[in-house]
Amino acid sequence: MKKLLAAVLTGVMCASLLTACGGSAPAASASTEAASVAAAGSESAPAEAAADSVLNKDTLIVGTNAAFPPFEYAGADGTPDGFDIALIKAVGEKIGKNIEVKDMEFDSLVASIGNKIDVAIAGMTVTDERKNMVDFSDPYYEAVQNVIVVKGSEISTADDLKGKNIGVQLGTTGDFIASDVEGAQVSQYNKGVDAVNDLLNGRVDCVILDTNPAKEFVSQHADELTALEGDGFGFETENYAIAMPKGDAALVEAVNGALKELKEDGTFDALVAEYINNGEVPEAEEASEEASTEAASEESSEAASTEAASTEAE
Amino acid sequence: MTIGEKFTAAFITEDRWQLYLKGLGITVEIALFAAIIGLVLGTVLALMKLSTTRNGKPSLVNYIATAYVDIIRGTPSVLQLLIMWFIVLKSSNNGVLVASLSFGLNSAAYVSEIVRGGILAVDNGQMEAGRSLGLTKAMTMRYIVLPQAMKNIIPPMGNEFITLLKETAIVGYVSLNDLTRAANLIQSRTYEAFMPLIGAAVIYFAVIKVLTLLLGVMERRLRRSDNR
Repeated sequence: MKKLLAAVLTGVMCASLLTACGGSAPAASASTEAASVAAAGSESAPAEAAADSVLNKDTLIVGTNAAFPPFEYAGADGTPDGFDIALIKAVGEKIGKNIEVKDMEFDSLVASIGNKIDVAIAGMTVTDERKNMVDFSDPYYEAVQNVIVVKGSEISTADDLKGKNIGVQLGTTGDFIASDVEGAQVSQYNKGVDAVNDLLNGRVDCVILDTNPAKEFVSQHADELTALEGDGFGFETENYAIAMPKGDAALVEAVNGALKELKEDGTFDALVAEYINNGEVPEAEEASEEASTEAASEESSEAASTEAASTEAE
Repeated sequence: MTIGEKFTAAFITEDRWQLYLKGLGITVEIALFAAIIGLVLGTVLALMKLSTTRNGKPSLVNYIATAYVDIIRGTPSVLQLLIMWFIVLKSSNNGVLVASLSFGLNSAAYVSEIVRGGILAVDNGQMEAGRSLGLTKAMTMRYIVLPQAMKNIIPPMGNEFITLLKETAIVGYVSLNDLTRAANLIQSRTYEAFMPLIGAAVIYFAVIKVLTLLLGVMERRLRRSDNR
């Protein structure tokens, strides 16, 4: 009887080991399928890429958190859609890779790069802490945190935040800022919209979120809420970039090249117009994006510099 | 990062161990209040489900209790928590209260079935004996049947409490910083998953191991008179 038990247990353990080790198998088969699709048009793996470079794969698995409109949100059919998704698909086209988007919690994106996902695009701000874990592409968008308050709220400066109950999305820049506010109690939510709901319910006094999602959420409750610009609170301007595995120089180079091309051929501006400015192309806005993303390069129009000055003043 | 650095980042930097402790406090607090609510309400529900009319048909309270248990068992607890948080008690600022109530109401449905099973396991002759000695139905239930049922329900009840304690891990959905959320929070700061998640798992395990030992002691005490 005992022997039988031992045999059964051994069998179960072996089976579980096999499944554990086989974890990567579905991904592998998926990528071979993708390979057969892509093989028609694309070349074999680029010669200059290191042996372990993500560039050797035919399909890039892209992690995002589809709760950050207009950059990423659940589209009509439930799959992630938005500016970032369109951008990474365009990048994938440029570098000849299929793109497979995976929706996950924002706070686990960085830790998942290199194992669950290959790259992450999620309106992610470049920070020194994140740079310790991943490499970033050139910044592609500039944003600042906004403070969402109920209309008529007394909160208007950084001092007003002290001792308040602040709602944020877990692991975002707003979370880091709020956690440093003296005496403030921070409520971390999985999604920004949950924080906004609790602001409406009166559970938190304000919500700190990135500009564009903040505006998006406020527009849905325009009677009750208002978004205050972060420069009044001394928040710094931040840059969104694509996060990639640490040390994969070939991939970073390829992605940066693709981003540059997309900006030059106008695709990037078209996407900004489509997703962020709702079809309109306001001059100043567009210029500011260009200023942020190509600050290092030679181009900088007057419009861009004035816009940049206005956002970075104070 | 070496293992040592990961450990330091996950537990020691910025006194992060305090986050786990605070998280554990919240977890235990919610589980404890929920267990109390579940135990009291669950027993009441069990008695309701056993009640019959004079001619042996299920009574009205029986139907009410059955409907309650059906609804609670038929919906995921995370949805119940979200409904409680965003709809039913949306004006309440006390997160622990909302979560305790949500889990307590949920647990009551399961506890009621455990208690009912325990009562049904007591031989019907006990009730008949009590009744023929002149006790009322309620008295027989209270002094003869329930004490014997208690012994039957301790093991499954322990099971339920352990499940309850672990189920509270979903309160992060409503921004409560329980133990699981503390691990998530630290992961979002260090971008390293191993240490916080394993650390939290070890803490859960330790707490539940202690709970299991206590239940074992209690069970042995109640079984003492079995060896005649």
